[in-house]
Amino acid sequence: MVNPIAFLRTWLVSVAALAILVAAVNLLVDPYDVFGTPRLAGISLLKPAAKNHTMLAKTYQEARAHPVTVLIGSSTTHIGIDAFGPQWPEPMLPVYNYGIPGAYTTSTSLHTVQEAVTAGGIKNAIVFLDFQNFFVPEVPGEIPPEDERRFRVMADGTPNPHRQTQIANDMFLSLATAGAFVDSVTTILGQGKRNTLNLAPDGSSTEADFIDAAQADGMHDIFVHKNDYEVERATRLKRVMTAWTGRLPDLDIIAALIAYAGAHDVKLTLVLAPHHADALEIYWRAGLWPRVEQLKTELATMAAASDVTLWDFMDYSSFTTEGVPAAGDRRRPTSWFWESTHYKKQLGEFMIEQMFGGKPPLFGTILTPDNVAARNAEVRAQRQSVVCDGTGERLLTAITHPIADGCTPIARTLAEHGPT
Amino acid sequence: MLFNSYPFIFGFLPIVLAGFYVIGAYKRDWAMLWLTVASLLFYAWWRPVNVLLIAPSILINYGLSRLLERNHQTRPTRAKAILIAGIIFNVCFLGYFKYLNFAETALNDAFGIGFILTQLILPLGISFITFQKIAFLVDVHAGRAGRFSLADYGLFVLFFPQLIAGPIVHYREMMPQFHAAPCRFDPENVAVGLSLFFFGLAKKLILADPLSRLVAPLYAQAAAGVPQSATEAWIAALGFTLQIYFDFSGYSDMALGLARFFGIKLPVNFNSPLQATSIIDFWSRWHVSLTRFLSAYLYNPLTLTLTRRRMAKGKPIFGGGGTSMAAFLNLLAMPTMLTMLVSGIWHGAGYTFVLWGLLHGLLLCINHFWRLIRMRIWSDTKTYKRRMAPVGFLLTFLSVVAAMVLFRAASVSAAVLLWKGLIGLYGVTLPQTIFSRLGAAAGWLATLGVQPVWTSGAVLLEAIARIGIALLIALLLPNTLQMLAAFEPAIGVKPAKTQPRLLRALAWTPSNTWAIGLACIAIAGLLSLGELSEFLYWQF
Repeated sequence: MVNPIAFLRTWLVSVAALAILVAAVNLLVDPYDVFGTPRLAGISLLKPAAKNHTMLAKTYQEARAHPVTVLIGSSTTHIGIDAFGPQWPEPMLPVYNYGIPGAYTTSTSLHTVQEAVTAGGIKNAIVFLDFQNFFVPEVPGEIPPEDERRFRVMADGTPNPHRQTQIANDMFLSLATAGAFVDSVTTILGQGKRNTLNLAPDGSSTEADFIDAAQADGMHDIFVHKNDYEVERATRLKRVMTAWTGRLPDLDIIAALIAYAGAHDVKLTLVLAPHHADALEIYWRAGLWPRVEQLKTELATMAAASDVTLWDFMDYSSFTTEGVPAAGDRRRPTSWFWESTHYKKQLGEFMIEQMFGGKPPLFGTILTPDNVAARNAEVRAQRQSVVCDGTGERLLTAITHPIADGCTPIARTLAEHGPT
Repeated sequence: MLFNSYPFIFGFLPIVLAGFYVIGAYKRDWAMLWLTVASLLFYAWWRPVNVLLIAPSILINYGLSRLLERNHQTRPTRAKAILIAGIIFNVCFLGYFKYLNFAETALNDAFGIGFILTQLILPLGISFITFQKIAFLVDVHAGRAGRFSLADYGLFVLFFPQLIAGPIVHYREMMPQFHAAPCRFDPENVAVGLSLFFFGLAKKLILADPLSRLVAPLYAQAAAGVPQSATEAWIAALGFTLQIYFDFSGYSDMALGLARFFGIKLPVNFNSPLQATSIIDFWSRWHVSLTRFLSAYLYNPLTLTLTRRRMAKGKPIFGGGGTSMAAFLNLLAMPTMLTMLVSGIWHGAGYTFVLWGLLHGLLLCINHFWRLIRMRIWSDTKTYKRRMAPVGFLLTFLSVVAAMVLFRAASVSAAVLLWKGLIGLYGVTLPQTIFSRLGAAAGWLATLGVQPVWTSGAVLLEAIARIGIALLIALLLPNTLQMLAAFEPAIGVKPAKTQPRLLRALAWTPSNTWAIGLACIAIAGLLSLGELSEFLYWQF
């Protein structure tokens, strides 16, 4: 038995010591890359825990990176585009990948560009667009989403009154919470592991999650799972688009984005991101393809009216029609896609080389009002060849979601037909 | 203001304690007044308008109590009329704020009309405060309350550690303590209070809240009419049972600890209910102060009245093994069902709570009936207890878990959907990611009808781990009352004469070992304060 006074003294000293220890570990490891503590080999070189706090991490990373070029987009950009690579021309460096996984919308693109430009130094903005976002109107909110409360400006361009509070909150939560401490420990333990996810200082992410899933379940299952989701999504979007008339949703946001870039002397490039033919087929079968063509046409018109380049990678090429390994095959990889919407970094490199390195186009093209009709016809012909005429026998879409639409998709897998 | 918030822990509590000790060193009455004002501020912090609603109610109850005090010996008829008026006033007050919207829904459902009322703001803790005020009126009427002033009554009702979610206390057990409290810094009280508070905080933030995040999507899906497989339904049912268990247990510990800072001991409110071996045992451990209130002020008077009526009519009354079915139904089943109906309605204004109360009433009746007939078929009590305790535990546990689905589900239909899931009507599933790692076992599971689905394997494993750990703690470890029994953490709690080895090993003392251990628990709790979450029982 000890005197209660001694108990209270020991308790108080222990609490203070533990609090300081936790804060020191969190500051040293900096699991979300908020403080910019130098990365130490064996301790904090890789940042696996930033995975669930991407926006938090990226806002502070971007401010430290002082990029000349910023990449804007969703998880496909976050994972598929490497901001640090030889494919980038010198004048565009440094590049920061501001791709945001999760709740990504077109207005997030605009807001992220505003944030990057307000931070200073941005000369190029490359915005990767997911066509699905244009088939459902966004619901505007007066209060910025939680993740955007730390931005310098509000969505309407006015200074963000929440920023200082949010920064204080971010610092506190990154320093003095149990979650941050657990993530610090996870970060340290993850350093020695094979295939640990990392959020690089330039905002690019490793593909560790997909690699794990591919090894555990095989590419076939990953494709099937994603296709199921896209079918459900296409069904939802079709309901909206059936009754929709006039300009597509979100094009006003693109107009604002173009105007903003022009006003701030930022060279804007819009990119319709590549999708695997499985995804394209799903939206074709949902009856949404005329809307895809409408989107391309309207975007081309808007881009031509300003100094904006619009790239279209939504076509049926040898990349986007690559075969999917058979069910149960956990060893055979794919070359270009993780599933029907997320492309691999290798494909991202080709796209960058093509767009900015002066390499001849392997797939995709620059869209203009003059060529958009021909381009739409060309993609339709590609689809006819791939899906209906049997040259693209490796689509999974027909297996999981058979539908008769005038042509009979032949759906087989790599295991039956061998690699491309 | 939440107990589990930075403003409370680092602002309100230290200021109130410091003020209490400093003022208490000069004048006890001023210290008590300081505590009352602080409690009022605590109550107003949430929504200041609440004070405007609750303060007149307190004054009216005080006035009625004074009238009762003057009349209960000299004019019993008048006193009874005042008591009835007081109870009606309090029940109407509670009914107006808590049940008017439910009554509107029920009327609209029953008669297919579209009657619309304005959505009312529910004053915080109104159910607890109302019951406490009714108990006080009854005690004054019965001459059990002793002398009291407005300051005494105000502190009794408003004392912030038990203001919002109980325990429901009696004036006679609280006021002598307020009058005798040291009103100064007492190291032992503070050490015991700190320990109780941080045990509670850790239970709430580390055990209960993560379960809440796991089960919320499952109940949301059920509310949207999406059938849940047995895997998901059991996670939903077990997860919520353990969530509310540690939420309420944590709150009760924190309330005990906070009161102890002021030298006050509250009554026991929570005593390892999931270890109960019968549903009767469960209700003597879960929300003990509510059970005590309902027994003392509803069940017992009702049973007494009914027994007298039957005796007056010459009918047989309750008599152990020889009880007739009519006596059982009339004197036990009916009061039990009525009491549990009130308990259900008290917990929430909705069909699910009504059914939850009735279901527990039915379970209690079955339990009582079994007790009556068991004596006839198995008279050896010692053998019976040894052999049937595990069976009783299992049946009680499953019944409580199944009933808890009603407590959390958004509607009766959502609860039914989950119950169907629990018994496997929507199959058994495993995430594809886990299924594909099971190798040959996957084929065996498939033959048993287990289906692979595209849900998160990580979430399932987290759910299993969290539920497993929480179950082990709830079922195997001694509770905080047992661990701190040597220091009377709650009114009347004393160390057991014989203590199991585990309890002896974990018994709390103001030692350096415990100080460091508690510091770790406190830091884990304090560092988990980032996400605010309300206590489930605060909504009642």
